[in-house]
Amino acid sequence: MLLSSEKKTADMRGAYGDALVELGKDDSRIVCVGGDTTDSLKTKKFGDKYPERMFNVGIAEANLVSVAAGLSIAGKIAFASTYAAFIPGRCVDQIRNTICYPYLNVKLVVSHGGLTVGPDGASHQQIEDIASMRAIPNMRVLLPADAVAVKHLIKIIANTPGPFYMRLARPSNEVIYSDQADAFQIGRGNVLEDGSDATIIACGLMVSRALEAAKALHKKGVSCRVVDMFSIKPIDRDLIAKCARETGAIATAEEHNIIGGLGGAVSEAVCETYPVPVKRVGVRDTFGESARDEEIETLLDNYGLTATEIARAVVDARSRGKK
Amino acid sequence: MMIIVMGFNMRYLDLKRKVRDVRMWAIQGIAEAGSGHPGASFSAAEIMGTLYFRRMKHDPAKPDWDERDYFINSKAHSAPGFYSTLAVAGYFQPEEVKTLRKLGSRLQGHPVRHSERQKDHSVPGVEYSGGSEGIGLSVGIGIALASKLDGKKNRVFVLIGDGESNEGQIWEASMAAGKYKLDNLVAVLDRNRIQQDGFTEDIMPLDPAKDKWAAFNWQVFEVDGHRVEQLVDALNKASQVHDKPVMIVANTVKGNGIRHMANNPQWHGKAPPKRQTEVLLEELESECLIAPSIIAGERENYENKIRKVEREGVDMIHLDVMDGRFVPNTTFFADTIKKLRRSTSLPFDAHLMIEKPLEQVDEYIDARCDVITVHAEACTENEFKEIQDRLIANGISPGIAINPETDVPEWLYGCLHNLDVVIIMSVNPGFAGQKFMPEVLPKMVAVNKKLREHGFKGYIEADGGIDATTLQQVYDAGARIFVAGNAVYGGGDIHGAIIQLRHKAAVALEGKLLNHATQLGIRVDWMKARKHILIPYANELGIEEELHAVK
Repeated sequence: MLLSSEKKTADMRGAYGDALVELGKDDSRIVCVGGDTTDSLKTKKFGDKYPERMFNVGIAEANLVSVAAGLSIAGKIAFASTYAAFIPGRCVDQIRNTICYPYLNVKLVVSHGGLTVGPDGASHQQIEDIASMRAIPNMRVLLPADAVAVKHLIKIIANTPGPFYMRLARPSNEVIYSDQADAFQIGRGNVLEDGSDATIIACGLMVSRALEAAKALHKKGVSCRVVDMFSIKPIDRDLIAKCARETGAIATAEEHNIIGGLGGAVSEAVCETYPVPVKRVGVRDTFGESARDEEIETLLDNYGLTATEIARAVVDARSRGKK
Repeated sequence: MMIIVMGFNMRYLDLKRKVRDVRMWAIQGIAEAGSGHPGASFSAAEIMGTLYFRRMKHDPAKPDWDERDYFINSKAHSAPGFYSTLAVAGYFQPEEVKTLRKLGSRLQGHPVRHSERQKDHSVPGVEYSGGSEGIGLSVGIGIALASKLDGKKNRVFVLIGDGESNEGQIWEASMAAGKYKLDNLVAVLDRNRIQQDGFTEDIMPLDPAKDKWAAFNWQVFEVDGHRVEQLVDALNKASQVHDKPVMIVANTVKGNGIRHMANNPQWHGKAPPKRQTEVLLEELESECLIAPSIIAGERENYENKIRKVEREGVDMIHLDVMDGRFVPNTTFFADTIKKLRRSTSLPFDAHLMIEKPLEQVDEYIDARCDVITVHAEACTENEFKEIQDRLIANGISPGIAINPETDVPEWLYGCLHNLDVVIIMSVNPGFAGQKFMPEVLPKMVAVNKKLREHGFKGYIEADGGIDATTLQQVYDAGARIFVAGNAVYGGGDIHGAIIQLRHKAAVALEGKLLNHATQLGIRVDWMKARKHILIPYANELGIEEELHAVK
């Protein structure tokens, strides 16, 4: 069983913190660098357990990721964490030159990606990170859909040499997956629901909304396939081509600018393998705004990051497809 | 296995020569490439050389040796100098430096961390991919933290530039190193005061650099970054510091080594024309050292005499040890040198005019001389080899001296590999103040030629009656170390005397380089590039009108 049978929510950051502690127990090479956000990132748990392996360098992200690079040069598996607004927001150069170019064993795991940051507003709503990170050679980009995926992917990236960027969300969200360790592979998308009339390819928080959209469409007689494309780079081109061929229309959904993110990556793959209409759902190249926690759903509504919008995109893509 | 662990073992002249070789390879690489950064390569040459050839624990045969010291070159545009340093240290063949910046070369414009994935674009020994400024210190911190975590005894050395100190990240790193009390981290600031657009203090002032680093909880030392003895001294002190990272502020001259490039912002990132390469190499090879002999002049305490010439920036202190038997006079012995040692970090160039040097050499080793020269007339081949071995084992430059009527013994040609200096006496040793014997000049020319043919890489030292009137003659005969006694201490004006000696050395050099340029058919080009340097020597070189006409 790939999907969870019970309906519950869980915290991605908590899952990250727990996974780090667990990894640190058996592998003394695991170290973590934080930037005055360790409580929020839940890496503090790791620091409490292994204080000598936790380095809080304060609000200095360029230094943060470069220190992580140095740790990895000396043989450590370095996790570097703060908010997505600052990693990669403030240090794309260091990530590119100091980590990716020499293929260092640094894992950038960040939270507060996308609009769901909420009250902090646009300055903190990182909606460009997939675009910038996936354009850097050697970098791999992961955007897990729930806490279960986080738990397993953290272990996978810790044991896979080289640089990774993984973005988590701030709010707790719906648990999609049952707890199967073999459900996740870098470079492979997961088909969560099969369908024949169209495919929704989503990542992160939009995966649960994609499932919701598929359900709604099903009631209208449209059979929708739903893919969780948590591995945005490397991306599962074979699966994308297969979906294009078998369902004839694709909608993508992401909590990111529609430029350069998952929608961009999927479009690139579709164009070059089996061209079919694609419709991207995401932030439409605009900055976000503040919203209190209880207003987040409305915020997402206002910016079109909803199941309704995904369903509309599916209809649009299908209407442009071969009849 | 070539593991180098440094004590006080500087082997001064060998270190100077290696750094000279680094500059020579670097300029060839830059000239071949048609681009690159000679300025930064040259300002940092002594810093990198002292680290790689003396201070760092590393093994070119095992670049990933677990216990190695790390070097992070944060100012990675000094790549030509860095690559040449690695090559001279033994990481790869120096010839490869000529592929610098070319398509398909392992020597990328900015050095790339060596790994299996990057083996076509990097060379062993490069730990860090630089190019973007201000990052390396943070990386060094990461390595230092990991070393502490693993309980390792190794050290991390980071070279940073003053231009890149504009970057905020330098100061983020500065705070972090202080926080973690990283006493296994030593940063060296190449304070050459020039960045791409001009002088640092115009673009973005860094002064007071020392105070800034001290305020960030670093232990700060300040040195002349072209004085290897000061660098060695500071690095030794750094290893005694606990609970603090160390910053060595190394005052340097950008482009140091080629006079028209020195301290000239134009040469930050420009290659010299390829046709000038040979002349530039000659200039680099012609580095001169001035070594005042403290037995000259009036009797006063030697500390004072040393202090007076130290102020004038002389290179070494020449110590004439005479035992009253090998030569008729008696001066001082190892016990005196030992006391003087405390008064200066200037290298001691001890010239032992003593009967049985092998019996006494250990005393002079113990007194921490930097160069020890014994007389060919005072030892057999086996005795000299024994002396040489002991000196090399203690990191002291070995030398041999010959009297005016003596020739270089044939057996010396079997000892050249570890020979750093040959003193060719131009007076009969025994007293200060004697008259220069011009008849040694042809001998100096012949000896120098023959030694070079047999692979001698050290220095010829002229000793005896060297002054402003004779310096140029011994220079032209091949001498590059000048012992000056009366010429320095004989009159009242030490400052003026040393300026005059340097001026004469410069005239000799400029004349030689101009001749070389003329032979290559680039006389006018050379004068154009060199005009501002040549002006003070134009009269003595007889080129006043010609130089005036050069636009």
